[in-house]
Amino acid sequence: MPFALGIFLCSLALPGIVLAAEGNRIEKTFEVAPNPRVTLSNTRGQILVRGWDKQQVHIVYSVISPRVEVDSDVIPASGPADKVHFSTHILDPLVSGKDQTADYSLDVPMGTDLEIRDTLGSVKIDKLQGDDATVETVGGSIVVSDFTGHLFVRSIGGNIDVIRAAGRVEAYSITGDLHFVSPTTSKLRATTTSGRILFEGDFPDGGDYSLSEYSGDMDIICPPSASFELNAKTDRGKLENEMPITIRHQPATPLSSANSLFGTHLSGKATVNLKSFSGTIRIRQR
Amino acid sequence: MDETRRYRTAECDRFELELDAYMDGEVRPSVPGHLRECVFCKVVFEDLTALRTAARELPLEEPSPVVWANIRAQLSAEGAFAEKGGVWSWFWQLDFLRRPVPVAAFACMLALGCWLTAPQNNPQTKTTASLPTSAGEPTVVRSMVFLAGGEGLEKAVRELEKAFKAREATLAPDVKATYENSLSSLDASIRECNDSLQREPGNSLAHEYLFAAYSQKAEVLSSALEIDEGR
Repeated sequence: MPFALGIFLCSLALPGIVLAAEGNRIEKTFEVAPNPRVTLSNTRGQILVRGWDKQQVHIVYSVISPRVEVDSDVIPASGPADKVHFSTHILDPLVSGKDQTADYSLDVPMGTDLEIRDTLGSVKIDKLQGDDATVETVGGSIVVSDFTGHLFVRSIGGNIDVIRAAGRVEAYSITGDLHFVSPTTSKLRATTTSGRILFEGDFPDGGDYSLSEYSGDMDIICPPSASFELNAKTDRGKLENEMPITIRHQPATPLSSANSLFGTHLSGKATVNLKSFSGTIRIRQR
Repeated sequence: MDETRRYRTAECDRFELELDAYMDGEVRPSVPGHLRECVFCKVVFEDLTALRTAARELPLEEPSPVVWANIRAQLSAEGAFAEKGGVWSWFWQLDFLRRPVPVAAFACMLALGCWLTAPQNNPQTKTTASLPTSAGEPTVVRSMVFLAGGEGLEKAVRELEKAFKAREATLAPDVKATYENSLSSLDASIRECNDSLQREPGNSLAHEYLFAAYSQKAEVLSSALEIDEGR
């Protein structure tokens, strides 16, 4: 009998719990003009952005505290929007920590000019053919996969993962790690101070890749077919190379050959610059 | 078409007045008409069109971090950020003030909070609050960045550090920790680069990294001063 009573009470309570959870989840859709500008400013919480083939911006967000709200600004106010801006507002200064969380999920059209700032939350962008995408966090991680366009990602303390990006990529961090997987970008600029850099993939013909870190280690893992001209140097760290590089005449440098490597692999179709101050640079074959 | 004419006419003046709007895509029927008749204005129009086309093709260059750091330091010195973060400006910017119920609730909480905390406002608390802390001291980095041509940058970074120290107490603990961690990482690289340059002044890589560390530090500090925590 007590068991049956428990089941009965649970059956009464469950719909209430579901309704409460649903009450925090808001869903909106906006008709947008071609190549709209979508911006999002958040403090804590996860942001997921996906590209889709509709000429609409679809957003689903949820907040933990009722004292946190999300504002949507649409320009122009009527007709397809050129600009859509979402921002999280903490209505009560007493709300702190996890209670400030707002989680977002966005579907945006191809060609969107995207700008996201999330102080401590993580940001994930998936399958987007964008125009420009800028993502900045203070401590949150950033993961971008299957993005085409100009990508600018910066996190002061968070890790950055860029997977199968095409176009142009700039990735910067101070203490975070940078991870690149199979990029086909024409230009890649990546810098971290104390984080690690891991690059796994080929260098496309004509590609211009420049990776720099200060004290973290750098690992480059590329296929035997990679064709690139290499300029690698580290001041106090070590340089370990497993690729059959044809060494060319080194420019005047105080660095010893143990710390620098200038040469060509195959016909040197891409340009690869690797630089470190006290970290170890390792170039390995996949 | 009178190709020998050298003198401006009233049409030329009108053309000049309407040219901007025409080039911005507005309908100005007199402009194409005048272009067919006046060689001088046609040359001006062609030059402007060529300039516009060339300007569109120019890459967007980001100003040097030194420029941003100097602007930020100057604004900070003029109190621009102190004003933004001032108690009253912050208070009046709160969105919930537009809503009467939360305002009333907040007022009640504020009154209750004042009443509850009033007896604790003893001299001891004030003494403790005024004690200098090691974290409150701005990091003084004697550096070789002067040699790298970054004297202005180093000065700007010091100004930004002062402003950051004044603001850091208002940051959420985890945000503050992230900034402090990255600043400490950059300070370590500045120290190491300086040490390298003391021993080996011609070390171009150390110069490069030193300059980069100062630029990044200016950017991190600027970010900390600009951060909007949703309020």
